[in-house]
Amino acid sequence: MDDAVAELFDAVQRLHDEDVTVVTSVRLSSSLREAVKAAVKAGMDANPNDAMLNAVRDRLEAFTQRLALDIHYERYPDARPSLAEIAIAAAQLDDSSLAHDHNLLRRAADEVVRVKPDADADDVLVYAAALQAALDPTSPTAAAS
Amino acid sequence: MVLDNEAVQALLDPTHRKHRAVLAHLEVRNQRQRGRRMNIRVLVPVAVRVEAGWDRTAATAADINRISAAVDVDLRRGGADRAVQLRQATEVSVVDATVGHAAESGTHPAVILTSDVDDMSRLAGTLEGDVRVVGI
Repeated sequence: MDDAVAELFDAVQRLHDEDVTVVTSVRLSSSLREAVKAAVKAGMDANPNDAMLNAVRDRLEAFTQRLALDIHYERYPDARPSLAEIAIAAAQLDDSSLAHDHNLLRRAADEVVRVKPDADADDVLVYAAALQAALDPTSPTAAAS
Repeated sequence: MVLDNEAVQALLDPTHRKHRAVLAHLEVRNQRQRGRRMNIRVLVPVAVRVEAGWDRTAATAADINRISAAVDVDLRRGGADRAVQLRQATEVSVVDATVGHAAESGTHPAVILTSDVDDMSRLAGTLEGDVRVVGI
């Protein structure tokens, strides 16, 4: 692991600790600044500062977790879940009726990567819902469409 | 997404039979957060960390610290009171009661990731808000 990645992991671990704040300057386009102000008025966040912090924090966390997962899979290749397994987890988290049909989700995962090689779990869920609707027009996913 | 004891145990040990299953849920979190479709926060009650032996300062915890992106849920006075109420109402363990408190305290809908679906479902039925149980 290079020094920059190690430094990133260390810093992100401290994101949720009590921390001193520092003032820093960020160059924004005027349109972005106006959009943030308008979004705050519309209820996105409490103030423009929170809006900017939340956006940066979310990106940092997602980027860092991705790096960590990929490093973990390099060390433990068997730990990497398949696309079908991730789609099953997504359906469970969503309380989707598809969560109970593992065969359908596996088939959808196999097929969707042929048309979208970088497909993720949500692509599989959409594809599986379409398959289910085609196979059984009385299914919940068909009724919802 | 709230982690219970076995979810943490599974993450701590790459040879655990449920390691991949928990990672699959973390992958959903990562895919949706990177795609900015949904912000799923991963929570771990501090009592679960104690029970599972997850010391964030230990070298052996470096992987789980990074891959879980989990935020600790501390047990302050109000949280302790609520955990007591949940334990008395459902007769779950002390640690499971803190899982219930953590699920209530996060944003909803909330999901408890657990191997003990029966007990956690009983607990979830008593919680305020939209809390579901997902088995690993």
